[in-house]
Amino acid sequence: MDWKPAVAAVLAASFATSACVQTKQYADLQFTPPQGDYKLLVLRPDVTVGSLTTGGMVEPRADWTDQARASIVDALKAQQASHGGKVTIIERRTELPGVTPQELADVERLNGAVAESIVVHKYLGDYLPTKRGKGLDWTLGQDAVRLGQKTGYDYALFMHAEDQVASGGRIALGVIGLAGCVVGFCAPNVGGAEQLDYASLVDLRTGEVVWFNVVIASSQAPGIKFGDLRTPQGATQMVERLLGRMRPGDAVRRPSSPKESR
Amino acid sequence: MRFPVVLSAAVALSGCSSLGSGEYGFSSYGLVRVERVRVGDGQMTVVAPRYYNRHRRILFSDVSDVEDWTLNGPILDGISFVSGMKNNRELVRQRHSADQQVPRFRSDMTPPEITAMLESLYRVKGGAVQLNTLSLQPRLFLGANGFQWDYEHLDTDELWRKGRAVGAVIDGKLYLILMDAARSHYYDATLPDFESIVASAQRNG
Amino acid sequence: MISRRSMLGGGAAIAALLHAGVASARIRPQDMAALVGPGFKPTERDEMGLWKEMDRAEEEIAGSNLLIQDPRLTGYLKHLIGTVGGPAAQDFRIYLAHIPDFNAMMFPSGFAVVFTGLLLRMRNEAQLAGVIAHESGHFLRRHMIRSWRDQKRKTDIFAVGAMLAGVGGAGAGVYLGDYVQLAQLGTLLSLFRYSRAMEAEADAMGAKLIAETGYPPMEMASIWEQLIGEETATARYRGKNRRRGSLFDTHPSEGSRLVDLRADAAELTVPGNAYDAGRVRYLSMINGIRPMLLDDQVKLNDPGGSQYLIETLAQDGWNGLLRFYEGEVWRLRNRPGDQLRASQSYAVAVVYPDAPADAWRWHGISLMKQGRTTEAKAAFARYLTMKPDAPDAAWVRQMAG
Repeated sequence: MDWKPAVAAVLAASFATSACVQTKQYADLQFTPPQGDYKLLVLRPDVTVGSLTTGGMVEPRADWTDQARASIVDALKAQQASHGGKVTIIERRTELPGVTPQELADVERLNGAVAESIVVHKYLGDYLPTKRGKGLDWTLGQDAVRLGQKTGYDYALFMHAEDQVASGGRIALGVIGLAGCVVGFCAPNVGGAEQLDYASLVDLRTGEVVWFNVVIASSQAPGIKFGDLRTPQGATQMVERLLGRMRPGDAVRRPSSPKESR
Repeated sequence: MRFPVVLSAAVALSGCSSLGSGEYGFSSYGLVRVERVRVGDGQMTVVAPRYYNRHRRILFSDVSDVEDWTLNGPILDGISFVSGMKNNRELVRQRHSADQQVPRFRSDMTPPEITAMLESLYRVKGGAVQLNTLSLQPRLFLGANGFQWDYEHLDTDELWRKGRAVGAVIDGKLYLILMDAARSHYYDATLPDFESIVASAQRNG
Repeated sequence: MISRRSMLGGGAAIAALLHAGVASARIRPQDMAALVGPGFKPTERDEMGLWKEMDRAEEEIAGSNLLIQDPRLTGYLKHLIGTVGGPAAQDFRIYLAHIPDFNAMMFPSGFAVVFTGLLLRMRNEAQLAGVIAHESGHFLRRHMIRSWRDQKRKTDIFAVGAMLAGVGGAGAGVYLGDYVQLAQLGTLLSLFRYSRAMEAEADAMGAKLIAETGYPPMEMASIWEQLIGEETATARYRGKNRRRGSLFDTHPSEGSRLVDLRADAAELTVPGNAYDAGRVRYLSMINGIRPMLLDDQVKLNDPGGSQYLIETLAQDGWNGLLRFYEGEVWRLRNRPGDQLRASQSYAVAVVYPDAPADAWRWHGISLMKQGRTTEAKAAFARYLTMKPDAPDAAWVRQMAG
């Protein structure tokens, strides 16, 4: 029966105490990274920067968050433009002409459940036998296709970036629907996951989730400084890590031997 | 019918390798092939129209006559089987001191009582804040006079889900196959498989 | 924050306090001055950061499909908080979430979320206004930023430990049942756990605010009394003793919140004043959703709590709706003898002119199970007349033969 699994340990917790930058992407077997004249819609990127207090709590910093958001938006536009893409970033559900906030919310909600499923079954090890070796095999279906038809965009990108992870679960992962904290298992800033970013790319012509990536960086890693996302360099680095090395699906790369994208 | 799937053990990995745990190692799902298989405690058999993922039994956390399958993960879709549940049994393990409880099955339950029991399951254990019955009608199942219940529910993750249950009480025991999936895309995608599985169902002893 | 769980948590804390021999003095309503004025905006860095987070949280909540959007109801809540909200009355926003639990909460930036479970439990407008005034009190006394700063001062281990205990323990006051969180705010909310002293301030402030508006101050105490009664009934039904650590059970005298509230009320009540609890107005406002509220509660199959609630509401008079849901409580409980009890409730319910169609359906089913086929068919026919497009009409027609 369909019970949203209570993922007692969530990403941030599972990546605690590692002194490095980790990234892992999955792609649809047939995925080719967008190139040339494509239109990308970035839906309400979620950016937070906080400061770590001596007590181990993260204090949200309004000014830093604003700076980081602006830097990331700039970096994102520059990065996508280098591939030829035209990017529109919307901050609110009311900003998309021809689409009601309700329709957009429904797409976001379904994406939340799909992203949660991807994390549970691809990143947290509870894999589904029928999906082994099939790359990324989830879809948002007709809701996403309709969104594409109404707006003319080719892709939608959902993105989350958090510097100084404010909680083990709800805030960090909740926004894309990884509402993984069962009551009783949400500690703030578990371990040292200082930066947590993830993104999913949806092909609005087919509705398929074609690419998904998670980046975790801890404070001990060289070149990562706390609050980094506020600076243009830090934001560029993050966008590059998250989106820059988008690899094609296995069927495209190695048509002879389909295997998991790593 | 399985509630919180706790994954802490599976993800208690450390260091840089953790993001790569991927698709190898232990998973709580096993493969269902396209052949006649026993479901639940074996009193019912079905044939899946394609490969499915069956949730493995976890000692002490399962009800033996209930079994769950999924294609895209239980957050998005699921098919559950109740294979001849006896009088006074429960659909889900629950603490008997819990304030809110899913009612027990009774052999003399009529279809509205069975669907009310399922509705409480969604409300008590599944996080449903709203549940609408779309239809309740008579339907033959396993050669007996049974029922079909169609419903949809809004859960606290703000997603609407939609389901269909087909069941019958035979010799005082409950036989039921139920599907429940995100209303957007996943319900329509799962329905043909569900109907094919229901059509294939046979009672076993 | 007001919820069933935070009540017990607060009780546990104060019981421990009493055990240590410390008695806290009652905070008197007249000492409760608002610490913020109209149009308050934060100026300090940490509070500004918090408000920024809250803006995003509010945007998520305002767009949630768990909200009840009925303009009559939301307008009513808006009107109430605008009346008992003190200096910030016109700045508050208030949302109604469709979640069947006793809960109301105020967020640091001045928006409140009320659960539908609260509307089921309130017997009159004064009680609802009392809860809203209590929540307003948290804002007017700046409890969120004060508790936030207080948490921050604590050591690493304690902060994390307290957080874990807070979220996990009953003290969190963030009880969403087995529900997933509303717009993922559980963690945020757990940061604003209030101390016993803050709850006492909010109680005193709330009592003062409703008294100033002309509601009977004693209704504030009645809310807690009902809540305690419900908790006790729930626990007793499940074979649990009254929960240890619950102040209201173990220390019913000095220092208890209820006693304080009664003392507040006595102090605030002006002899000879004509107070209006607004019961008729309240009922006319929620009548349209009362079947839904009862349905949401009863289907959780918490027979002790549900029965207590129904009997409490029936103190204002039994009707077909309440009798029907009394039957539903028995039917879902389904212990030996409950089928008979349920059938009696249905039989009584259908005598009332306001009996819902569903009462006729269940009346029919229970008659059928007793072999009283002819009467059952008549009841089914009545059901189908009342609800010709019932979703289960196909099944009922088969039964009605």
